[in-house]
Amino acid sequence: MPEGAAARAGAEEDVRDRLPDVAALAAALDDVDYLAEPGLATALFLGVRLPQPLLLEGEPGVGKTEAAKALARVLDTPLFRLQCYEGIDAAEALYEWNHPRQLLGIRLAEAQGSPLVEEDLFGADYLLRRPLLQAIEHAGPRPAVLLLDEIDRADAEFEAFTFEVLAEAAVTVPELGTVRATHPPVVVLTSNRTRDLHDALTRRCLYHWIDYPQPDRVAEIVRRRVPGSAEPLALDAAGAVTRLRGLDMVKPPGIAEAIDWVAALSLLGVDRLDPASVAATWGAVLKNRDDLELAQARGPGWLVGA
Amino acid sequence: MPDVAPGPLAVGLTTALHRAGLPAPPERSVGLTRALQLVPPTDRAALYWTCRVALVTDRAQLPVFDAVFSAVFDGLLDPSDSRGDPNAPPAIGSEPRVRPVPHEPSLERPPGTGSGEADVSLPGSEGEGEESAREVLLAATSTEERLRHTSFAELTADELLGVRRVVRTLVLATPHRRSRRVRPTRHGGERLDLRRTVRAAQRSGGDPARLVAARRRTAPRRLVLLCDVSGSMEPYTRVYLSLLQGAVAGARAEAFVFSTGLTRLTRQLSVRNPDDALSRAGAASSDWAGGTRLAEAIGRFVADHGRRGLARGAVVVVLSDGWALDDPDDVAAAMARLRRLAHRIVWVNPRKAAPGYAPLVGGMAAALPYVDTFVSGHSLAALEQVVAAVGEN
Repeated sequence: MPEGAAARAGAEEDVRDRLPDVAALAAALDDVDYLAEPGLATALFLGVRLPQPLLLEGEPGVGKTEAAKALARVLDTPLFRLQCYEGIDAAEALYEWNHPRQLLGIRLAEAQGSPLVEEDLFGADYLLRRPLLQAIEHAGPRPAVLLLDEIDRADAEFEAFTFEVLAEAAVTVPELGTVRATHPPVVVLTSNRTRDLHDALTRRCLYHWIDYPQPDRVAEIVRRRVPGSAEPLALDAAGAVTRLRGLDMVKPPGIAEAIDWVAALSLLGVDRLDPASVAATWGAVLKNRDDLELAQARGPGWLVGA
Repeated sequence: MPDVAPGPLAVGLTTALHRAGLPAPPERSVGLTRALQLVPPTDRAALYWTCRVALVTDRAQLPVFDAVFSAVFDGLLDPSDSRGDPNAPPAIGSEPRVRPVPHEPSLERPPGTGSGEADVSLPGSEGEGEESAREVLLAATSTEERLRHTSFAELTADELLGVRRVVRTLVLATPHRRSRRVRPTRHGGERLDLRRTVRAAQRSGGDPARLVAARRRTAPRRLVLLCDVSGSMEPYTRVYLSLLQGAVAGARAEAFVFSTGLTRLTRQLSVRNPDDALSRAGAASSDWAGGTRLAEAIGRFVADHGRRGLARGAVVVVLSDGWALDDPDDVAAAMARLRRLAHRIVWVNPRKAAPGYAPLVGGMAAALPYVDTFVSGHSLAALEQVVAAVGEN
C-alpha cells in the first residue's frame, strides 16, 4: 500500500459504532430511502471503514451521486461536492482570496485612516473556501463526505493535485499556514470514463461498477422517491423503462427518468399505465427525437406490455 | 464457507488474477486482506463483493475477474451454483448493454479480402495499368518525391518503414476553442484579473494603480481518430497506425480501431517504442483484419465514449474505405448521431485516390452527407490534406 497505510488504523470510533458491518450500512441507507445492492453497500462500507477513496462508475442515472449523498445522510455529516469540468483549477477546488473584499478593505482602511497590515488582508475572513478545503477543515464530530463528481472531466494534472491534497489530508495556504484535517473526509469519486483515469488514481481507490437494477427494484426506488405514487403504476413504469432500454437508444432512460415519469403520471392522476397516458407523457421519459421516433414506431401499446 | 485466513486467501486470489493477465500488484492483496478483516466472508456473495471492490479497477476487467473468482472458489468454471439466488453476484458475462456480435463465420471476412485480392473486388480499385504508371514515375522522379506520391499499398517493406517514420512525425493540430482559464494580457482584455490586480496593488501601497486585464485562454479542440483495421484496409493499416501513434503522442488524441468491434487504443499507442505499441495494439484488438461493421463501430463509439464527452466539440477523423457489412441506413443513423456531437468530421478513404472512384459502396455513400471533409490520405502527399483538414477552423 502506498503512503500512510501503516498509520491508518481504520475509521474513527464514532464511525465504527455507527456502521459495525455491511448489513448495518445497508439498513441505514434504506432508512434514508436509498436502496443499495449488496455490492454497492460493501463498497461504501469499505470506503468508510478502511478508509479508502471509492470510485463509482455506471451509466448516467443509476444513482452514483445519490449514493454519496445518502452516505452523508447516514453519517449525519455535511456533503461537499466538487463538480469537475474541463479546465477546473486549484482556485475553484481548494480556496481563493476574496479579492473584491480585499480591495474594499484597503479603501475602507484608507477612508478611516486606520493602519492596515498585510495579515489583515490575508486573514481567514478574506478566504473563500472551496469544497476540498471545506471537507478538510470540517470540525467533526464525524468526517465529512467529499464527492468529486465526474473526475474524468478534469485534466490529469488536476486529478494528481487532488490526490496529493487528500493523501496529505492537509492544505497549506502560504499566508495562513497549514490546515490539517482532524477528521479526514470520506471520499467518493464518480466517473463516466470520457478518458482513461490515471493508474495512480485507480490504484488508490476502491472500485465499484453500479449495474442498472432489476425492474422490481426500480419500482421500489421510484416509490420511495415519489411519495403517494401507486405501486401498480411504479411497477408498470419500471417495466416500460426496462422495455425501452432494450431498444437501441441514443440515451437509454435511467432511474431518474423513471422517477420523473411516475411523478408526472401521478400529477395527472393516472394510477395504471395505459396507452393513452403513455402517449400523453412520452416527453417525461424520452428526451431525444431519434429515441422518441424509435419508441413511437413500436407504439404505446407495446410499451405498456399489452 | 470454510475457515480461511484472509492473508493467504488474498494473496492466492491476487496471484491467480495476475496469472490471468489482470493488473494485480501486491499492494492490492494487502488492501484485500484489510477489507476481508472488515467484512468477514460469511457467504459466497459477501466474499465476491469484497474481493471485487478491492481488486477490480475497471469495468472491463469484470469478465476475467468473475471467471478467476469462480475458478478459485467454486473449483470449476461454472457459475450455475449461484444462479437463482437473488443476492448472488451476476454470473459470468452477464454485463448489461454489451450486445454480442452475432457470430457469422461467412461474414467474418468479406469475400475477396484475402492476400491482395481485395483491390480487384472493390469498386475503384487500382488495376494493372497502375503498375506501369508507377514504373514511369519511378524513372522520372527522385526516390523521395516518388515515395511522397506512391500509394501506401504499393510500397516495399523497406520503403514502408521509412514512410511510417515520416508519418509518425506529422503534426495533427486541431483548431482552438476558448477555454475557461484566463491569462493576463497587456492590451485590454475582456475582464479584470482581480487576483493579479490586488497583488500589484500591494506593491503600490494598497492602491490598485495598475489594473491587470485578463483574457480567456484558448485550448486546442480534442482530436479523435477512428481507424478501420478490417481486411479491406490492410494495405493501409500499418501506416495509419503510425499516424494514430503520432497523434496520441503529439496532439494527445484519442485513438480507436474497429472492424467487427471497437477497441480503444490510446493507452497502448502511448507507449514509447513504436513497434512495441503496434504489437500491443494487435494484442488488444481481437478483430484485427476481419470484416467491418461500420454502423456498429461508430454507434458503439458514440454510445460508450462520444456522448460522455469524448466527441463533444472534437475533431473526429474516420479512416475507412466505408466498405461495411451492415445496412447503409444504420450507418447513416450512426453518423447522424456522431455529427451532432462533433465539431468536424474528416473522412479519410484511401480508395478515393483511384481514378474513376465514386463513393458508391453502401456504407460510404450513406456516411458522406455527414462528413465535412472527404480526403484520400493514400500517400504521404495525400496525408498533408488530412493535416490541413484537421486544422481547418
